[in-house]
Amino acid sequence: MHNLDFALTGAWQVLLAGLALGAGLPILFALGIRSLAWGAGEASVNTSGVTAGTKRPLGTALGYALFAVVVLGVLLGLTFIVASGFGYKLDFSHIYPTLVEK
Amino acid sequence: MILALVVITALAFDFTNGFHDTANAMATSIATKALRPKTAVALSGVLNLVGAFLSVEVALTVTNAVVKIQDKSGAPKAELLADGGSGLLLIILAGLVGGIVWNLLTWLLGLPSSSSHALFGGLVGATLAGLGVAGVNWNGDGSKLDGVVGKVLLPAVISPVIAGVVAVVGTWIIFKITAGVAARFTEKGFRWGQIGSASLVSLAHGTNDAQKTMGVITLALIASGHWDDLENIPLWVKVSAALAIALGTYLGGWRIIRTLGKGITDITPPQGTAAQSGAAAVILASSHLGFALSTTHVATGSVIGSGLGRPGATVRWAVAGRMVLAWLITLPSAGLVGAAMWYVGDAVGGMAGALVVFALLVAASGAMYLRSRSGKVDHENVNDDWDGAAVQPVTPIPAAAAN
Repeated sequence: MHNLDFALTGAWQVLLAGLALGAGLPILFALGIRSLAWGAGEASVNTSGVTAGTKRPLGTALGYALFAVVVLGVLLGLTFIVASGFGYKLDFSHIYPTLVEK
Repeated sequence: MILALVVITALAFDFTNGFHDTANAMATSIATKALRPKTAVALSGVLNLVGAFLSVEVALTVTNAVVKIQDKSGAPKAELLADGGSGLLLIILAGLVGGIVWNLLTWLLGLPSSSSHALFGGLVGATLAGLGVAGVNWNGDGSKLDGVVGKVLLPAVISPVIAGVVAVVGTWIIFKITAGVAARFTEKGFRWGQIGSASLVSLAHGTNDAQKTMGVITLALIASGHWDDLENIPLWVKVSAALAIALGTYLGGWRIIRTLGKGITDITPPQGTAAQSGAAAVILASSHLGFALSTTHVATGSVIGSGLGRPGATVRWAVAGRMVLAWLITLPSAGLVGAAMWYVGDAVGGMAGALVVFALLVAASGAMYLRSRSGKVDHENVNDDWDGAAVQPVTPIPAAAAN
């Protein structure tokens, strides 16, 4: 059953890539949301109305930095779709992705 | 002209492929109200259209995965062209009809099933009837993942598991991270996360699935002697296939969207983000590694996974079980229809045979459309769609999702 071998080999690679990008990026995204919320500070409600919490610029900056990483990941996905359509593929042998002809 | 019937039928298949698979990309976004239903299908339709044009690769050898009617270069086998190609055209026509009928039936039942597997099933059935057991590529030649086993059966089992694991992990960790964060941050953030990831799935779908129809139509053109370039696809084929899949996506298979978005589990925005990102990553990674997975199976696996990963969420296994059953019988069922159509077409013979097959398709499609009308599912009005879908026994959710 050579097909089973190929399938299991492929499945492991897909699973690892899927976990890294499919679970990893949303996790970074969630961390970004948490950072933004932390950066905005905690609002409190008291007799004089709603008091905005103390801003934490570090949290806001970290939040947007994390979003930027996620956006880069999405752009990588987009590049892959477009490039493979035009006969190129992404090559990860230099760690950073480069485009090579198929 | 048998060729004209084949082209029309192939575009019809492309159309059903579109509306059958809208749910894969957009069901979660619609269920969590990240996007209004009509906006979601419009966005998905446009991205499918763009995706279909993005790819210049020629998918002429698409049928080689399961049947042996073409050689490696994509040209039809010479021995099949002895009769001017009409025998080959009948096989393609019968196979396409098998795929369409199964797509429509599963849509009527609100079940997400793989359009590619339906097409492959129809082709296998028609080839079995027309050329016998030897005409089918069961297990490939041992050099790569190929054949009915390698391209259909194994991926069907493996892909939902992979996607499910990714979505479970993603969902579980996301909920740990965002526990206690104010809703105004999570709601808005994950809304964009969902829209982005759903858009990627739509685009990838357009590049993959429209190619299959383009390949089949071009094969028919070559078989009948109307095209001889193995490197390119006629522009009108490209444009019409892209438009057919985009239009189908825009119309939206609301019954399937409801099952996937509401039926399996109750999805919240973080789950939707995790499910859709997992699906996008698995689809892209698998196509990068040449390990063809069905978008439908991946999307469904992700949604189930996101239901398992959220603390306190429940998965309706009865619904999931019905889907798995549908996946198991997709190939043989579409194959049976394809084979039956081939026998009918062959018995009547020639042009009349093809016409009879086409008439049967129109009759079956019309019957199923009328049946869907009696279930009060109106494709023009989204609110009515959600109300009407209440006739489905598997989805005891009030129509609160309509907005």
